[in-house]
Amino acid sequence: MKLATQVNRQLFLSLLVLGSLGCTQGEPPQFRLNMISMTSNELDSEYQQEIANVLSGLFGTPDEPFAHPATGLNQLKLDLASGPAWSDKRGYSHGLYRQHCVHCHGIDGDGYGPTAKILNPYPRDYRKGIFKFKSTFNAAKPTDADLHRVLANGVPGTSMPSFELLPSSEVESLVEYVKYLAMRGQLETELAAYVFDELGVEEVEDESGTVTEQRIPFDPSASPDQAEAVLDILSEIVAGWDEAGENVIQPAEDAIPADNRSDEELAASIDRGRELFYGVKANCIKCHGPTGLGDGQQTDHNVWNKENMDYIEATTSMADSLANADPETEEEELELDREWALLKSREEVSDTLLPVRNAVPRNLRVGVYRGGRRRIDVFHKIHAGIAGTPMPGLGAAGPGAEGTISEEDMWSIVDYVLNLPYEAPSQPQRALPTNHSNITQ
Amino acid sequence: MTSIHLALRYFLTLTVTLSALTVISNDASAAGWGSLKGKFLYKGSVNPKEITPTRDPEFCGKHKLVEEDIAVGEKNELANVYVYLYTKRNAKVEIHPDYEKAELKPAVLDNKGCRFEPHAMTVWTKQPFQVHNSDQGIGHNTNATLRANGSFNETVTNDKPLKKSFQKTETYPAPVACNVHPWMNATLLIRDNPYMAVSNEKGEFEIKNLPAGEHEIVFWHEASGTMKNLQVGKEKAGRTGRIDVEIADGETLDFGEITVTPKLLGK
Repeated sequence: MKLATQVNRQLFLSLLVLGSLGCTQGEPPQFRLNMISMTSNELDSEYQQEIANVLSGLFGTPDEPFAHPATGLNQLKLDLASGPAWSDKRGYSHGLYRQHCVHCHGIDGDGYGPTAKILNPYPRDYRKGIFKFKSTFNAAKPTDADLHRVLANGVPGTSMPSFELLPSSEVESLVEYVKYLAMRGQLETELAAYVFDELGVEEVEDESGTVTEQRIPFDPSASPDQAEAVLDILSEIVAGWDEAGENVIQPAEDAIPADNRSDEELAASIDRGRELFYGVKANCIKCHGPTGLGDGQQTDHNVWNKENMDYIEATTSMADSLANADPETEEEELELDREWALLKSREEVSDTLLPVRNAVPRNLRVGVYRGGRRRIDVFHKIHAGIAGTPMPGLGAAGPGAEGTISEEDMWSIVDYVLNLPYEAPSQPQRALPTNHSNITQ
Repeated sequence: MTSIHLALRYFLTLTVTLSALTVISNDASAAGWGSLKGKFLYKGSVNPKEITPTRDPEFCGKHKLVEEDIAVGEKNELANVYVYLYTKRNAKVEIHPDYEKAELKPAVLDNKGCRFEPHAMTVWTKQPFQVHNSDQGIGHNTNATLRANGSFNETVTNDKPLKKSFQKTETYPAPVACNVHPWMNATLLIRDNPYMAVSNEKGEFEIKNLPAGEHEIVFWHEASGTMKNLQVGKEKAGRTGRIDVEIADGETLDFGEITVTPKLLGK
């Protein structure tokens, strides 16, 4: 197999487009390696190739995905979602991911499709296995129903459209494929860490007592220990998905506001919500701002941008430190050569990363809610926070845990937040006073 | 799909059942116990940058806040270096009865004076973990990016500590942040054994009652991650920041003074 990362990105993408137009039969697309993970773990091309082999063995290729029994994924759904886009004689669609998703989310689900650069927010990178809009506790995976809802409704206020018009079976296939890409991506990062921690070189003593350094290959088909470790890592990732259903936040029945509240009751709840919004317990104003326009803390980052930012900063500081290096011994000189090679590969990766964007808190006066505008959607956000972002949760962190504030209070914050866009006519909404000097692009 | 991949897949599928049969029993008790200690010195000067609080300035401004990425004492003693026992994935370690017997107090991470106290800490999975907020009238959140245990990000109020327990061992210390006060950060190491330490203000650390025998010890600092090229006695750490040690029954292995250069911490 040719190492995917060696393929020029532009060439690769144009082949993809040509392939889908049916003009030429290009090379079938390959999964590319997560080069942040590879270079952060200082893995040489040999280990990178071995990781690619293992991933390919467990997950197949973009044209021929494999539902490994340990993943519990459905092969038929993956087949319908993967491969080139085409319709059969009866009009059934195949290759759904490449028809509907790949241009933004990329062949690997890395959120780096051809359009990613011009979109704000950037398309989601599935490879961390973190999803924002869901009904589960902060650390838990989304349920299938959560992903289905995002596909059906789209994400208002972003470039993610609604796929409501697709037959439900097609949406289900896409949900399965997103999970497939997420599991694969998370496994890749974990494998890179595993190889760094447990493999590498070991000292071997031969019969004459001479000690030599020997590379430990990453080849689970030859090492039962490695095979066990790989499956163990995979099953932990899969367990997260399997347990999503048990981690759905179930609001307590007696705390849910009644449907037939009087105007006075609603107004009282909104007042309570306002008090909490401005108070230190819920502390909403720190980020959403005293006006609710999202003009508080604007210099933070979500985990996806933060990873890129940290990587770029570490690479820059490595470059500074190497430029001032002054090797004294031959050994140090050799070490320095290795460091320069690593720096070069890191810089190549840095250059391909999307510009880092800040996490700008939501303007709550617009009436657009990315995770859905139902009361329960807003309740879930306040309860669990938003995974992968700076937004913390106010509710219990998991089943049986205790929250910071009561559910009644959280429902009052829901009432206040949902009322924010509807102000008295005498107080029209102001423009968002974004502090531009604080926003790095 | 090439044949090598198919072979690999077949093998990996088979191993699911095989691995259950090949669990090696590990019930032999340790051939005694020994300890490990040492002291870190920083070979360079540190001028901690002062922090001007941009959030809650009237409260946080009262405290003298400085960047804590490299914390040294008056005689250049280096604090906040993690030293801990390396274990392979799923390996079990024998635990000295003293640890089992000791009453386990909760490990507490406090939000105090607009910084985390302590800045670097360890938690054994048997230990309960709590996050406090001692800053009266100030709202904090604690955002920990864990790998094995699942991350958490919750607001912490004065009267109600967050109470948690962890099930899994983490390979490395995890970053902890407060998103309300962007300068606040800490690190947290969660292990399924008690063989870990963080160097104190005097640069000193000690790990007591390790099972006698050969081990690998990990050295980790927030500025460098794994402490590649750290010289400990005659041994030099590789890229994983690990040193081979031999712990003898009834003895304490003293590393003596361990010098940490600015270069090693990427400075």
